[in-house]
Amino acid sequence: MQTILSIAIDALAFGMVLFIICIGLSLTMGLMRVVNLAHGAFAMIAGYIASYAARDLGLGYAVAIFLAIIGTIIISIPLERFLYRRIYGSPELTQVLMTIGITFCVIGITNYFFGPTLKTIPLPQALSQPVDVGFRTIAAHRLFVIACGAVVAGGLWYLIERTSFGIKLRATVDNAAMSDALGVRTQVVYAISFAIAIGLAALGGVVGAEFLPIEPYYALRYMVTFLVVVSVGGAGSIPGAVIACLLLGFIDTTGRYLMPEFGNFFFYAAVILIVCLFPRGFLGRAQ
Amino acid sequence: MQMTAQAGTVSAAPRAKRLWWRDVVGIALIAACGAAGYWLFPDNLALLTRIVAVALLVLSIDLIVGYCGVATLGQAALFGAGAYAAGIACVNGVTEPMTLIAIGAVAGAVAGLVMGAIMLRAHGLAQLVLSIAIVQLFHEAANKASAYTGGSDGLAGLMVSPLFGIFEFDLWGKTAYLMGLALLLLVFIALKFVVASPFGMLCRGIKQDPLRIRAMGAFVFPVLLKMFVISGAVAGMGGALAAISTQVVGLDSVSFELSANALVMLVLGGLGTLYGALIGTVIFMGFEHMVSAINPFHWMTMVGALLIAVVIAAPGGLSSLFERFSASRGGKA
Amino acid sequence: MTAGKRILGAAVGALLMSSVSAYAETIKVGIIGPFSGPFALQGKNFQAGVEAYMALNGKSVKGHDIEVIYRDLPAANPAQSRALAQELVVKEKVQYLGGVYFTPDAMAITPLLAQANTPLVIFNAATSAIMNTSPLVVRTSFTTAQTTHPLGKIAFDEGVKKAITVVSDYGPGVDAENAFKKAFEAAGGQVTESIRMPMNTTDFSPIMQRVRDSGATGLFTFLPSGPPTLGFVKAFNETGLKQAGIKFYAPGDLTQESDLPALGAAAEGLKTSFHYAVSHDSPENKKFVEAATKAIGGADQLSFPSVGAYDGMHVIYKMIEATDGKQDAKKAVDAVKGLSWTSPRGPVRIEADTRHITQNIYLREVAKGADGKYINKEIQTFADQKDPGMPTQ
Repeated sequence: MQTILSIAIDALAFGMVLFIICIGLSLTMGLMRVVNLAHGAFAMIAGYIASYAARDLGLGYAVAIFLAIIGTIIISIPLERFLYRRIYGSPELTQVLMTIGITFCVIGITNYFFGPTLKTIPLPQALSQPVDVGFRTIAAHRLFVIACGAVVAGGLWYLIERTSFGIKLRATVDNAAMSDALGVRTQVVYAISFAIAIGLAALGGVVGAEFLPIEPYYALRYMVTFLVVVSVGGAGSIPGAVIACLLLGFIDTTGRYLMPEFGNFFFYAAVILIVCLFPRGFLGRAQ
Repeated sequence: MQMTAQAGTVSAAPRAKRLWWRDVVGIALIAACGAAGYWLFPDNLALLTRIVAVALLVLSIDLIVGYCGVATLGQAALFGAGAYAAGIACVNGVTEPMTLIAIGAVAGAVAGLVMGAIMLRAHGLAQLVLSIAIVQLFHEAANKASAYTGGSDGLAGLMVSPLFGIFEFDLWGKTAYLMGLALLLLVFIALKFVVASPFGMLCRGIKQDPLRIRAMGAFVFPVLLKMFVISGAVAGMGGALAAISTQVVGLDSVSFELSANALVMLVLGGLGTLYGALIGTVIFMGFEHMVSAINPFHWMTMVGALLIAVVIAAPGGLSSLFERFSASRGGKA
Repeated sequence: MTAGKRILGAAVGALLMSSVSAYAETIKVGIIGPFSGPFALQGKNFQAGVEAYMALNGKSVKGHDIEVIYRDLPAANPAQSRALAQELVVKEKVQYLGGVYFTPDAMAITPLLAQANTPLVIFNAATSAIMNTSPLVVRTSFTTAQTTHPLGKIAFDEGVKKAITVVSDYGPGVDAENAFKKAFEAAGGQVTESIRMPMNTTDFSPIMQRVRDSGATGLFTFLPSGPPTLGFVKAFNETGLKQAGIKFYAPGDLTQESDLPALGAAAEGLKTSFHYAVSHDSPENKKFVEAATKAIGGADQLSFPSVGAYDGMHVIYKMIEATDGKQDAKKAVDAVKGLSWTSPRGPVRIEADTRHITQNIYLREVAKGADGKYINKEIQTFADQKDPGMPTQ
């Protein structure tokens, strides 16, 4: 029992990290129909900013997160304006080409400026100590990550389902030309949702740095994982993404506990099975 | 190089005759380019051979992405199946190069059958993810079966006997390159017939509108599966060629990275023309080789910039530039 | 080959290289390593080692200028490795090949050496079996078995009777597992369980749970240098295994100096065995570290591949000295058989029969150095260690 609980809590924390990073990608892919393979690159940029702020400038963790999100969004604005805007509505493979190009550039540039070493983001005292949760000790940081994931999920759901921006966004997604005609400024809606997606990637990159360490190759190393999670959940669906992250986190974690030798087999076999059963992902939008 | 049938449209009958001539010219051009590579870069034949092997892989992707509309990021599974089959056969005493290529083709075709049977159950993004999962499983299997594949240390010690008993596979790599080039030409010509056949037309029809094809009374699944098998055979031959020419098979030949790179090359060159696959491979690998020799540390930025530039300048791939060019010259056909 | 073709080839070569064409006496050395991609740091260390050696020992031997040509091989890719080696030999006319980070890449190059009449000096690739594939290979790095071997006895002597091994599931990981098991069981201990985890594992908590459940008092692990080590060490601490008193042993790949700033306090007290620590106390090493730091551009990026490269260049210089600039691979390799010298890592020797380096292996502990930075502090020396992995295979 203790072991099961212990694995469950690890799976939850890992799943939540995946969720925070991937939900932004799910939004871009599901709502804006852009296969943004450079998503991880933005999480990585945020990690570098946070690391610089917290380690080199000695700022607090919260400030570092805030700066990282703002900084990453600022960096993404010209990219959105000059590069991404060209590929809205393009065939998927063209988008793949463009975003892989962007990823390569980001990797090359970070490698040039920051060098290839690992960067850490120092945690505040409160988050770095192990906490006794009764049946075992767990790093306080993991609890923090779980909380972050819950807040992000709730906040996004509220934004999309309950606010006027959410209504405009959904309208634009369903029929951009019609929304435009009805006075929705679709360019602005796209720009804002792109910024939100990037901001979430940034948040995930920073709080998830304990799981997925920040280094220049980050953007490519985890690209597959992110893509798999999004499609299993169904692009564009928040509850779908939550289910996918928790389920895949659970399969991954238990697989690695029970049979570490075949951890990858478990994971990808499960992915194949799920995709065959739910070809649109758990809660994907019908095309 | 000239363009033939355009990516999206099924060509009308009256144009077919002219297109046939274009293909002869195109194939002659490929042969000329290949020969030119041999004379101009006699010191880079190993690189050129690698380009030929990868070109076969990219061609095989074009068959299913460009002609059937099935997205895949896992084609290296088929390439690797061919490479490992040829490698294992070679280590166990089958050293005749043509036989090895045939073994690679068969292994690739079988892998293509399996992969197609799984992938064709889904569409769009899900299909893409299935392909990734499959290539990762192949990779894991190759790593696990280290008794046969050498695992992460690679399968070394391939002693290929001379081609036709005369031409050795040596340091300078002339034999490997010329054999690869001949193989590429033969495969290319064969594929041109395949895609121009009624079967190829049916595939393109399915790409455009599977529903209508179904309504016409054709079965979609077996047609696409057949293309997967052909594609697997082509990729497998590429893998076998790589194994023969390098005498080592590594885990990289069944990696996601290779699949992704190959897809990038195809999109770079342009989909659904077969020529685009060759152009994309040569440009991507040639450019990568050049910039990484100039600056081994930060060349990745340059390659990224190239990809972005191509999307901005020629969203349909490099081969669409030629198309646009010939369209503007020819006026209304 | 006609003269015209050759000129054309040379012209193209010059164009691609964009370098000044060399005059006749220049001897070229081709270095293949991961200069970009996920292992870029290790490649940078190759370069730093090479440049440090050339800065300290001059750029010419017996009047022959030495030119180094770098070629990037970002990840294990034997096909590309072979193509690069072939290009270096045929087009750039290098007389010596060096570098190579991964085993399969080395395996792809060795069949070419005899025909190319070129020796290969391996700066890293650490599988024992490479040395059997060609008589023209010399290695100045280490093998995983070599660095792991002493740990078996150390663990037993520290009171560990039951140990669990956790390694990354690939060639070197399996080598390390076998080497530790052999040494530990020879000393009288018992390996209760052996776990192999996939290379791309990012969350190690479930593994730690396994370790805890196994009841072993010692943990032996091997992971390739880089990002995963951080997660592994953190998971070891956070899941309370450290507090529970489980002893941690690993070869030094896990605590390479360039990862230490990131590992930080989490790694404090970890014991690893390795052939080189940047903090090694000797006049040779001081000189080396100073030069290599200058070459790499930051003290915290320096780690073990640099010393493999440094000593590799020493071997290549000795080869050039022996052949006096003539291309004769066999003579060059024969000249360095039995060669011994004092490396930054301590006394070393190239064994005449295996062509692999014999060296001290040190037991180190991660601790704070004088300047407050974390270092691998050497606490015990195992002198004159050959490669124990050699006879098998």
